[in-house]
Amino acid sequence: MRVRIPGLYIVLGLVLAGLIHIIAVLTLPMLAPRNAHARLAALGPANTMIELPAAAPGRQAMPMMAPDVRYAFCRFDLANGPIRLRAAIADELWLIALYTPEGENFYTVAGADMKRPQLDLIIAATDQTVEEAGVDAPESSDEVLVVNAPVTEGIALIRAPLAGPSRAARAEHALKDTSCGPYTKG
Amino acid sequence: MDADRVTALPNPLSLVPSQAAPWREEEATHSMRSLAYFIGTFVVALMLGIGSAWYMIERGSPLTTTKVGPWDGWVSEGNPSADPYTEAHVARSGRLPLSSTVARYFVARTDSAGHTLTSACQYSIVGSPLNARWWSLAVYDEYGGLIENPSARYSFNNEELLRHADGSYRVNLSSKARPENWLPSGTVDQPLVLLLRVYSPRETDGSGIGLIPGDRLPKIERTGCE
Repeated sequence: MRVRIPGLYIVLGLVLAGLIHIIAVLTLPMLAPRNAHARLAALGPANTMIELPAAAPGRQAMPMMAPDVRYAFCRFDLANGPIRLRAAIADELWLIALYTPEGENFYTVAGADMKRPQLDLIIAATDQTVEEAGVDAPESSDEVLVVNAPVTEGIALIRAPLAGPSRAARAEHALKDTSCGPYTKG
Repeated sequence: MDADRVTALPNPLSLVPSQAAPWREEEATHSMRSLAYFIGTFVVALMLGIGSAWYMIERGSPLTTTKVGPWDGWVSEGNPSADPYTEAHVARSGRLPLSSTVARYFVARTDSAGHTLTSACQYSIVGSPLNARWWSLAVYDEYGGLIENPSARYSFNNEELLRHADGSYRVNLSSKARPENWLPSGTVDQPLVLLLRVYSPRETDGSGIGLIPGDRLPKIERTGCE
């Protein structure tokens, strides 16, 4: 009797531990209050390009930011229509990445992949249509990029990696010229 | 009337000891023991479940990470089709990593011999160039914060590193100034975390995930402690 009972409890304990493990893993992304989206939302309004100051001790919007990358972000909200992001890509190292609030990087375009240095990117929800010259014609699709976002809220993050310390000022200046706002035709 | 009903209830706990048959007493201690076992089981299960989840989310497991020497890399980091462990890891980290198809990140908390990286020791980090458009090695405190130092040097990237004739490099991680590539670890005695970020690797595996051969990742050797 005394031998049989602990055996039963070990099985019960393992099954319970497994269930708790699964629940913890699946609910954690929703329960992480200090995720990147929450940190960036505290820095300013949606649908505006915000340049992050160069990462330095005690001055980091997110943990483990690259000290040799300059960042600008736009927290997009597609509730009132698509969002247009424009940037003059100053460097082929630039990376423009779109994220869901949970941090899934669902779209990325690199400066090196662009046919011309002017980025014109429209972020639309799956149920929003964008009528833009060149969008439907694949041969001129390098004019305007249209991305169907799987979410109505998210983050567009521009990374400007520095090829050397002397490039910082130029990258910061170029990031100031990027814009993000409600989509208007043309 | 009420009193009659109470006494009529067959409640073994309200029985006075003299009335209790020996087997009933045994049953009472038996159910007490069952309760203790149950609570114990639940507490152990809670610790096991939460603990294993925490470890697999925070530090990774063979399911989610590749480990080469001291370097841990999350294979599906930032990827929209990532597994729940990786998703939880990213949400908890507070970072916005690029998808592993665009960039790879490698984290080291120990040296190549397995000892925890600390600002009380000096390290020699030796590596060869990586096949990528841009890469950078940075040092942080255990919370991912940059470390204060007089030369405002927090990282070395592929454009900044002083290299040897064969393209290899040596980074000296220490609190006191060193020749060559000095990565200051600060004056506060604390554990350190190294992060190697590799943007746009030129080689990919079958699923498009950036491929960095393990032998290309730098070796971290402890050269002395204070």
